Amino acid sequence: MKYVIEVKQLSKSYKNLIAVDRINLSVKRGTIYGLLGANGAGKTTTIECILGIKSSDSGTVSILGHNPIKERKYLYQKVGVQFQESNYQPEIKVFELCQEISSLYKSPSDWKKLCKQFGMNDKIKNTIKNLSGGERQRLSIILALIPNPEVVFFDELTTGLDTEARYNIWKILYQLKTKGLTIFLTSHFMDEVEMLCDEICIMKKGKAVFYGTVKYAKQISNCAKFEDAYITLSREEIK
Amino acid sequence: MNCFITLFKNELKLNIRNMNMVIFSIIMPLIVLVILIFIYGTETLVEGTKYNFIEQSFGALCTISICASGLMGLPLLISEYRERKILKHFQVTPVSPQKLLIIEFIIYVTYCVVSTLTLFLVSILFLKIKIYGSLATFLGSWILTMVSTLSIGIMVGGIAKNTKSVSVIASILYFPALIFSGATLPFEIMPNVVQKIISYFPITQGIQLMKATFLGLPIENIKLPIIFMVATTLICFSIAIKFFRWE
Repeated sequence: MKYVIEVKQLSKSYKNLIAVDRINLSVKRGTIYGLLGANGAGKTTTIECILGIKSSDSGTVSILGHNPIKERKYLYQKVGVQFQESNYQPEIKVFELCQEISSLYKSPSDWKKLCKQFGMNDKIKNTIKNLSGGERQRLSIILALIPNPEVVFFDELTTGLDTEARYNIWKILYQLKTKGLTIFLTSHFMDEVEMLCDEICIMKKGKAVFYGTVKYAKQISNCAKFEDAYITLSREEIK
Repeated sequence: MNCFITLFKNELKLNIRNMNMVIFSIIMPLIVLVILIFIYGTETLVEGTKYNFIEQSFGALCTISICASGLMGLPLLISEYRERKILKHFQVTPVSPQKLLIIEFIIYVTYCVVSTLTLFLVSILFLKIKIYGSLATFLGSWILTMVSTLSIGIMVGGIAKNTKSVSVIASILYFPALIFSGATLPFEIMPNVVQKIISYFPITQGIQLMKATFLGLPIENIKLPIIFMVATTLICFSIAIKFFRWE
């Protein structure tokens, strides 16, 4: 199995909108893959189709060689997920949620250690509704790492976080990557993408307009800064 | 197993923290009991019988918590979890929908058990009540009533479109069940038409069965309510599991 995530010709449309149009993705083990694009470009629908939350109209998806819909129970022992907007039971406290999520897995990571790593140590007795936006974001990343996953999905990794927290998270993810974790993320921050991602895909109106490395994106668009390269590439008309 | 216990413990804790079910499922039946004691006193016998009022309506009192749990609490919780995308979060974990539904189911069973026990203890403390029938058959009919009512709740929560429609459906089921089936007001005083309609509620069948088994009255046609409640349970559960949606 060469690729940890493999998506072929994935398409999904809602009533009169083609949200995802023949997307192909292959992610190698131990790499970080970034899915970029403007709001409404189809990133979240793509992730949800890959995860099996939404059924695709056509195309195939495999994660770790398994079908995410048919082999859900088996696969999600090894896959962690963070959603763009996470909601939890009203009134639940941080440690209760961590305990609850840990109990679902055969060999979970130590959630207390993760809380310490992400600077949430002094918040574990707080109710989640009383956490700040940044704290919730960090919690959702912790929850995605609790399964001790082989692959992890982050939809909008560091939205709402301050510079220091972002920097800290990059460092942790980089360490996890060197240990063999495969990461699939979406992000609106080009510095983050440039820092972390081995390969990227830029989406526009459901179609992929660029596949490759950050370096290659800068090369073909003739831009020194990745931010400019991204703007150029995502502005290009779809052939 | 560890997963089951942790989930059960946590979800029960959250449910109690919410207080709604504590009020409607445990405190409210006690209030009704106390009111009945005040109205009828501890000595008065129901006209033409050897039973006091509480003995006659103990089964009905037990269904107050069953109605609150099965027709209000359970369907609202399931639809709220779906609407708040809590189920979506569980979808990307290894837990199965059946397990989640069973855990929530057992939580509401717990409320019914606690309510019935407290009612029984308070009744014994303040007045002498006696089971004239058999405890085993009474428990059997209690379990049947509870399971069939909770299964309706699981089905409603499972198939309704959103929390709003669930609260409408829940109110349509809960209030008539509470008022007309004999849970709070005696079934016998209802007009004929209402009696006929409300007989199709499994809870009405259950109350009649519980009353008969508690008082040791002869039951004509015992098969009918049992078949009726078992069928309700099976149909509702299969629909709930077949049409389960995470989102």
